[in-house]
Amino acid sequence: MKADVEPPACPKRGARLRRVLGLGPAGAAVPLIWVLPAVAFMAIFFVAPLVDNVARSLSLAGGFSGAPTSALAAYAKLLGDPYYLEVLVTTLVFSLVVTAISLVAGYPVAYFLVRKSGRYYSLIVFLLVAPLLTSIIMRTFGWRVLLARRGFVNSILMDLGIIDVPINFLSGPGVAVAGLVHVLVPFMVLAIASSLQGIDRQLEESAQILGASRMRTFFHITLPLTLDGIGTGFILVFMLANGSFVTLLLLGGGSIQTLPLLIYQQFTITRDFNLAGAMSNVLLISALICLVLQLRILKRRGVKGK
Amino acid sequence: MSKFTRRTILKVGGIGALAAGMPGGLVSPRALAEGQRITVTAFGGIWEKMIREVMVADYEKRTGNEASVLIGGPQQWMAQIESNRENPPIDVLMNTIDLALIAGRTGLAEPLTVDKVSNLADVPQPFIDIVEGYGVLFTYGAWGLAYHERVKNPPKSFAEFVEGTIAGKWRAALPNAGYTGTPQILIWSLADALGGSVDNVDPAFEAIQKMKPNSVFWTGISDPLIQLETGEADVAIYVDGRTWAHYDSGATWIRYINPEEGGVMQPAIAQKVKNGSDAAWEYINSLLSPGPQAEVAERLNYGLSNSKLQYSDKLKERITPWEKTRFPPFEKTGTAQREWIERWNREIRA
Repeated sequence: MKADVEPPACPKRGARLRRVLGLGPAGAAVPLIWVLPAVAFMAIFFVAPLVDNVARSLSLAGGFSGAPTSALAAYAKLLGDPYYLEVLVTTLVFSLVVTAISLVAGYPVAYFLVRKSGRYYSLIVFLLVAPLLTSIIMRTFGWRVLLARRGFVNSILMDLGIIDVPINFLSGPGVAVAGLVHVLVPFMVLAIASSLQGIDRQLEESAQILGASRMRTFFHITLPLTLDGIGTGFILVFMLANGSFVTLLLLGGGSIQTLPLLIYQQFTITRDFNLAGAMSNVLLISALICLVLQLRILKRRGVKGK
Repeated sequence: MSKFTRRTILKVGGIGALAAGMPGGLVSPRALAEGQRITVTAFGGIWEKMIREVMVADYEKRTGNEASVLIGGPQQWMAQIESNRENPPIDVLMNTIDLALIAGRTGLAEPLTVDKVSNLADVPQPFIDIVEGYGVLFTYGAWGLAYHERVKNPPKSFAEFVEGTIAGKWRAALPNAGYTGTPQILIWSLADALGGSVDNVDPAFEAIQKMKPNSVFWTGISDPLIQLETGEADVAIYVDGRTWAHYDSGATWIRYINPEEGGVMQPAIAQKVKNGSDAAWEYINSLLSPGPQAEVAERLNYGLSNSKLQYSDKLKERITPWEKTRFPPFEKTGTAQREWIERWNREIRA
């Protein structure tokens, strides 16, 4: 009789295993197991380096200039020193400003692209994406050539008699913001455009039939329905701006100090890997906090929960 | 005809991957037979071309061995060696002076001796002492002042350069804290020129602070050339070799002077990696050989280390003799630079 009992146990165990692996009934599609390579890839190339970075930031091993006094010394320095706190705040504010400007600049472009471009749609998408195919360094150098003391802009202004002495465009934070917006705005446009494309135009037409002006229709129908795309664009641009340093190295004359710039310094000059590791962890956590806050705000205003 | 199945592909691919992963995998039969293949490093661009066409060619011709060239930067190479000290992936390391000192002190590099590298006998002793014997100076640049010909009365010294910049006679291009050489070529150099020292860099920081309104700062080594050309700056702290290379490329407006105090020595150090192949000693011999060094000087416009090397007349006018340069106390600037960079971030913010 025992033999009669045992066989059904195997299918049960098998069914449970299949459930755990997301395999479903035997012979059915196997969705979860196909995810494993991607999970393994992320574990090896994303999670493991992050863990290593945390360990590095807590390491007591010394470099050329001496060892840290305690495992948390780098964090104590970062979070207790007003200078480093100021740099952290500057990093986040800078990223937010770049993201906000990208939104303001990118929304009309996305709107035109989806609603007005007609047969030029593909061409405009190409023009939008084409700059992404060139090196960020080349694009940033372009700004420098244009805005140099003897560059195109100053020459035009002087030739027109508008200024007598060249303006030092390249040393302020404004040019760094402009340079980064130039690099990142396509991400915002594409995110919003995909959201705009999904809107049922009948909703807008209904609002107008019921007497809403075009402006009111936009602010009460179109804009709320694109908050999903705005949220995606916001996250993309904010995260990219938060970690960028090439543009800030080349533009702004060092007027803006951000954590990525300091991390770069620690690796290339001072070889203070503890501090660099701690900086990157603080940057990551602060960026995640900002991300969560942004998502909460956007969801509260109407983004559909998935 | 054999059947070409998925299993066959996996089997063949697996064997191939194993072969590639094995130590010494995918090496040529000649190298396996002689066991004398070494890996050397080179910076990118013109450096790589020079190392391949001059140094590796000379080494392979003389020894019959092979040398593969790894392109990159010292930070990356040091990390690769540190992670595999017993079986390092690099045999000869081309290094910056600060990292070369670290490599020597932390046991990553071996001391050089004349019995292993015969050409070392013709190298001036300061070029060996500079890295405490754990390597040798291969080539050097002198960091003086490059300027545009529109500057009619250029500064003759670093002190005059500082004064003129503060007075607004010209706009200066200075390296910022993102450039690896800044602790030596700017902070120590100005401190030394203005009465300070490696232990007292206050004069340098005070001067940079005062110069800041009339200065632009740069990170990339090519930036000053653009800044001079676009009028962003008129006078730049810059290295002789690159200035002349730029001149030869058509920028005949650029000028260079070695200031009265002496340009700052910036060496490229060749090091034999500990536990690397002994065949590497002969490659270092090629690096120090007068024939190949003369070719390198013609290509790079930099000074080289063999005292028997005869420069052409053109190069004699261009290359700053090492005796007319200033050697920063590299062992001290290396340990102080963390503090200096932090001070820079807080005070200069550029």
